[in-house]
Amino acid sequence: MSAHPPRLAERLLAWWLPPSDAEFVLGDLAEQFEGDLERGRTVAAIRYWKEAAAAAWQVRRPPPSLPRSRSPRGDPPVFALLNDLLTAARTLRRAPGFTAASALIAAAGLGAATAIFSVVNPILLRPLPYAAPENLVMVWERERDGSNSRMGYASVVDLATQSRTLESGAALGYWQPTIAGGTGDAERLTGQRVSWRYFDLLGVTPATGRSFVAAEDAFGLPRVVILAHGLWQRRYGGDATIVGRTVTIDGGPMEVVGVLPADFDDVFEPGTQIYRILGYDVSQSFACRTCRHLRMVARIRSDVTHDAAFAELNTLSRRIVAEHPTEYPAAGINLVQVQREVTRQVRPALLSVLVAALFLLLIAGANVANLSLARAARRREEFAVRRALGAGRGQFARQLLSEGLLLALAGGAAGVAIAWAAVRALVAQLPADIPRLAAVRLDLGALGVAALATLGLGVLVGLAPLATAGGRNPFPSLGAGARLVGPRRHAGRSGIVVAEVALALMLLVGTGLLARSLLTLLSVNPGFDPDHLLTLEIQSTGPRYDTDAAVWDYHDRVREAVTAVPGVEVAEVTTQLPLGGNFDGNGIRAQDRPLDNPALAPGGQRYAVSAGYLRAMRIAVIEGRDFTHADAADSAPRVAIVSASLARRVWGGEPALGRQIQMGGGDAPWRTVVGVAADVRHTGLDATELNGFYVPERHWSFANTSVTLVVRTTMDPAALAPGVVRAVRSIDPAQPVMRLRTGAEVIATSTAQRRLALMLFAAFGTVATLLSAAGVHGVLAGAVAERRREIGIRAALGATPGAIVRMVLRHGLGPAVAGLALGLAGALLLTRYLRAMLFGIAPTDPVTLTATVTLLAGVALTACLVPAWRAIQVDPVTALRAE
Amino acid sequence: MLLAVLRCGDDASGIPVRDEIRRRAGRALTLGTVYKTLMRLEAKGHLSTTVSDPEPRRGGRRRKLYRLTAHGRRALQRTLATLNRMTRDLPVPLGAR
Repeated sequence: MSAHPPRLAERLLAWWLPPSDAEFVLGDLAEQFEGDLERGRTVAAIRYWKEAAAAAWQVRRPPPSLPRSRSPRGDPPVFALLNDLLTAARTLRRAPGFTAASALIAAAGLGAATAIFSVVNPILLRPLPYAAPENLVMVWERERDGSNSRMGYASVVDLATQSRTLESGAALGYWQPTIAGGTGDAERLTGQRVSWRYFDLLGVTPATGRSFVAAEDAFGLPRVVILAHGLWQRRYGGDATIVGRTVTIDGGPMEVVGVLPADFDDVFEPGTQIYRILGYDVSQSFACRTCRHLRMVARIRSDVTHDAAFAELNTLSRRIVAEHPTEYPAAGINLVQVQREVTRQVRPALLSVLVAALFLLLIAGANVANLSLARAARRREEFAVRRALGAGRGQFARQLLSEGLLLALAGGAAGVAIAWAAVRALVAQLPADIPRLAAVRLDLGALGVAALATLGLGVLVGLAPLATAGGRNPFPSLGAGARLVGPRRHAGRSGIVVAEVALALMLLVGTGLLARSLLTLLSVNPGFDPDHLLTLEIQSTGPRYDTDAAVWDYHDRVREAVTAVPGVEVAEVTTQLPLGGNFDGNGIRAQDRPLDNPALAPGGQRYAVSAGYLRAMRIAVIEGRDFTHADAADSAPRVAIVSASLARRVWGGEPALGRQIQMGGGDAPWRTVVGVAADVRHTGLDATELNGFYVPERHWSFANTSVTLVVRTTMDPAALAPGVVRAVRSIDPAQPVMRLRTGAEVIATSTAQRRLALMLFAAFGTVATLLSAAGVHGVLAGAVAERRREIGIRAALGATPGAIVRMVLRHGLGPAVAGLALGLAGALLLTRYLRAMLFGIAPTDPVTLTATVTLLAGVALTACLVPAWRAIQVDPVTALRAE
Repeated sequence: MLLAVLRCGDDASGIPVRDEIRRRAGRALTLGTVYKTLMRLEAKGHLSTTVSDPEPRRGGRRRKLYRLTAHGRRALQRTLATLNRMTRDLPVPLGAR
């Protein structure tokens, strides 16, 4: 084997070693490398690097006697720097307490900032992993209030075919199929129905097989699917022959035509496991213009600006609406860049947490700088001696800089370790529907930012003693300055304390606002009683359930079986659960309130339920009556219960009972309103849209194959879960049971993002408070120690302990008060950016502001007490004699 | 270290010395440590160096060969004699408490 030793190591060493030794050392290393090659190239290379490093360390290491700031023989500057670093390492080793404290504080700041940046970068900052992602847009119909609305298939087709500014467009539909076969039980998947162009539009090619083709995208054709990489690996063991085979989905056959690459990440529906061709036709009833259940994604032509596309699509929209005036609430199209659109929900939280982490980093930097200033003050004598021996200002600067850099490096290394652990924890905590979550890791970008921050911190910490000295020489000669007293000397450190307290206050105000928002939110009545409630989704797919009646019968049998479980009071079925994350909006028309444009009818959430649902959920019936079992009979008259908000919206203050309403298309039956139920929060505890209606599930035009079972229990619902699942399985073991949650968990999930943001703010705020307290304490303790003699004289001249305490506190609390004032101003300026995450309180909530200012002032005062106590302990005789 | 150089005879360059120490004393040193010590001993005058002729087998590489000076030999003798005197007739056998 004739391999060459690692060339980089060789060159570095050749450059590093004195020329007189280089040849022989390199020769020996090369010889050893050749001997090591028998044990493998990698082993030999590792050994070579190790030996080269050892040789470099040993052969040029300065003698471990006096610190040496200038290396002999006029070495290149890099050399001098390395020497400085070695000297700095020895100096720091002599001050282990200072070194450990500084490195830990730096690590906390750098770790937090790096971790949060690692999360924010792929989600908000890095371009989406598609071809030319800047040209990808979401196309929405514009509601009358300017908000976005999904589209009916006919509208998507019109826009995609008539537009000259769009290269192509595709429709996306919600799809939750149940898959059987392969390995494992039947399971419910997250899927999407997409136009054939979808993958071409994103610039994604399947890794195996092919994409959808135009001919497949029509109604009534055999159904084809494309698998995501994860599902293919998990369920089919990565078997490449899956392409062309038929799999059983929703009880029927579908052909797999392709498998997506492993790195494909769907931001429109994160975690999508399977794609089915849309297969719509404008002649179908569900493809109508008012059937607004599709999203549209489009690619703008690369030679067309976003504004031009926006203008053209709006012109088109006006024309289409003019042709179909009764099928649109308003004319107009909203165009949103895909990245902005898919991160709209998480953007405020992520950005504010990123800013919070940056604040923490600044506080950490300030704290380390503060420690380093205090240490510089203690080293005055060392500097003075060295100055007397001929050291210049530049040399001190270089040495301090080296020490700062070394500290920051240690902190940075520990910070990266913290960030690594924190990123993993964060990914586990973040809601799974955040796009690009899979790309969140401690990557090169984050490490680069960490390295930059470390460098900046090092320079800041190293040069702080120089910078705060201003024009004065920070390294006075021997004898001078030793008796200098008074606050002037501490101007630099006090300034840092002001900044620390200000930043800490801003973080605490943010924490306080988020905490109060969450408390306010959790005190909102969801409209149902989450205690002693167990919820789970049940399925009914396959040939056994090909009629609606079979599905409904299955629901009844499951309800009976679950109700028989000891500890279960009642089990009922609903097509969707409040706060459960589903949406099923329907337009509601009232017979006595005809509209010129039916598209302007108010919408509301549809709950098709079994008769006892409202009782099981403890949703109050305010007027009229609840459903009875008689209502569910085929021959029974069609009835509905509406939410209080919906009743107000349609009939104002007039009674709703007895009115006729129609939901779900013009040929749907008219239903009599028999009751008005209390509002429930559906989309979130902060929901403002509270319209909803309930109908007996057997009276809806189709059966939902996926419904939620709500189980009211007399004991701990979590303990009952296994028994309930067994009962469901006893009816049909082939049907998957999903999303088993207690009522408390449903509420918790709906507030997960707020809780995570609050948790991070609270963590950062706590650390910031402790650090600023340490800063206040440190400055004051240093000042008291240095003013021992002055205090002694004052005491000897008759100053009372009270007067001394007041003097010390004035000194310590001055910067704290200035910091509080500055922080308050900053908070008033910045908290408005938190508005999107607040609920029920203003960004300038006086209670929060007062409470946080009081808290931080209390902490600062406490931090001053120990130095103040020490000041009155000063014995005048001892203090004076010590001189 | 001086003994190792002595043992290596005419072949006392970095690797042989390192290997000799590993073999005899069971201590695995890095080459860097060996160089460092050899250089110090040279600076103290215990060792002298010569540069070997280029080896024929590999691109004409030369070695730095170390050899004990008279001064080094005397220092070694003194140390060994001292060690000898100190260990002879120990009243308490080594290893006893």
